[in-house]
Amino acid sequence: MRITRRGFVVLMLLVVAFPYAWVVLASFKGPEALNDPSTLTFTPTLDNWRGVIDGGVLDSALTSVIVGVVTVAIAVVFGTLGAYAISRFGTGGPGTRFGILLSELMPPAVLVVPLFLVAFNLNLRDTVIAIIASHLTFVLPVVTWFMIGFFDAVPKEFEDQAMVDGYGRFGAFRRVVLPQVLPGIGAAAIFAFVLSWNDLFYALILAGGNTATLPVKIASYNTFRGVELGTMCAAILVSVVPVLIACFFVQRRLVRGISGGGLKY
Amino acid sequence: MGWRFMAPLLVLLVAIVGYPLVYSLYLSLTNRSIVRQDTSFVGLDQYQSLIHNSDYGAAMRNTIVFVLFAVALELVIGLALALALQKQRRARDVTRALLLTPMFVTPIAVGLMFRFLLNQQLGAIPQILSQLGITIDFFGPSLALPTIIAIDVWQWTPFMVLLLLAGLESLPRQPFEAARVDGASTWMTFRRITLPLLKPVIAIAVLLRGLDAFKVFEYVFATTNGGPGNATETIQLMIYRTGFGFFRLGEAAAMAFVLVAVVLVGVTLLYRGMMHQKGAT
Repeated sequence: MRITRRGFVVLMLLVVAFPYAWVVLASFKGPEALNDPSTLTFTPTLDNWRGVIDGGVLDSALTSVIVGVVTVAIAVVFGTLGAYAISRFGTGGPGTRFGILLSELMPPAVLVVPLFLVAFNLNLRDTVIAIIASHLTFVLPVVTWFMIGFFDAVPKEFEDQAMVDGYGRFGAFRRVVLPQVLPGIGAAAIFAFVLSWNDLFYALILAGGNTATLPVKIASYNTFRGVELGTMCAAILVSVVPVLIACFFVQRRLVRGISGGGLKY
Repeated sequence: MGWRFMAPLLVLLVAIVGYPLVYSLYLSLTNRSIVRQDTSFVGLDQYQSLIHNSDYGAAMRNTIVFVLFAVALELVIGLALALALQKQRRARDVTRALLLTPMFVTPIAVGLMFRFLLNQQLGAIPQILSQLGITIDFFGPSLALPTIIAIDVWQWTPFMVLLLLAGLESLPRQPFEAARVDGASTWMTFRRITLPLLKPVIAIAVLLRGLDAFKVFEYVFATTNGGPGNATETIQLMIYRTGFGFFRLGEAAAMAFVLVAVVLVGVTLLYRGMMHQKGAT
């Protein structure tokens, strides 16, 4: 039993690690070595990395960071307040929770056509604002939904006591309830950032030009002229490495945060 | 009282989700196109022509097959992995962190990674297999859709693991101790205790993953672009092409709304089932 279990975990680790290893190798390979995919002996070159940096991948990474941070900041502020109302006062009736879930599952294809036309008419095409607005359509409901669960887990007595002690409703919320859900906010914010960081669909349609986000940039290496395989692998790593490092540090918090309330419905 | 906290969220949601939704519904009733000047109201014509559009039917079928198989595989593998990880003691954090990484990688990067890993000429996997005397065309007509499902499984099984692991670790301990005292086998404990207690978490995980899987776009965009033929055409890709390749916005909107209807029916059934169970326990 134990052996099987270990074998299974090791196998899964290999399945996960193999593509990474291949991409890392390919990003250091010259054109010749790339034609022989399984070779492990080759002269490493930094040409791909130089190419990808010269191609402006760092600008795209910066665009992605700006979009992600602003989107998450807006979603956390609006979502937390709304979630508190839904959790504590049942604002809007029992349908609200379902409504929040519903707006999360709107396929992007439904919203993208109007968003495109509005952005076009307001001259906002190819700007960060258009991407942020489109990312809020899926980030905001997710954050709200997570936060409802976290607020549900805070005992009501806490704020009743705080109000007896002389805090107003908002004071009780800010000083007593908010600190309780802070780890939850952290987990939701990380999750939301990853969603925004990974989006290709909206970013491709609303801003394919000068304000290309990282996924759009990566997709652009896959052209009809043929694929610049080595450069593309380097670009993939630019997007993967920071996220993997972050993932390593937050994984524990994420498991705990989600079991703390995000799973309730 | 609650409305004061709720109002900002509501206003924002109406602006970015509500308004586009209504606008999109209106568009689906017109023949709006970027390349044509005049737009006229055509009623349900767009929807009617979709019924006879065999490409759309194929795309819908592909999408549904994709969602069903991908989510089922992810659930089974994810559950097995979550159970194994829960019992693991050594190198716990490193193993978990590494196994969870795929869900954090940009899907387009995952798609491109596998496109070249599995490529006939340039790919490492076909080359290794051919040394063993096996030739497989991963993106051929019969295997393209299963390959794309496998890519989804690689990326999103970790998401299942994350949710199920969180669920497992928050289960009460007493039933398991009682089962151990009674000498129940591992399988019995799993069937009779773990699974029933975990059901709400499984339902949520399947719901979230299923909804997300309907939006599949990047893998197909990166690998086959819908081919060979229309073997891997999915709804999201077809809408992208109709709306922003051919600029037929009205038709694209109608396609999207049919998808919404399909998703809504599925979700409502699942949500009802969940609420029913919640009431029963």
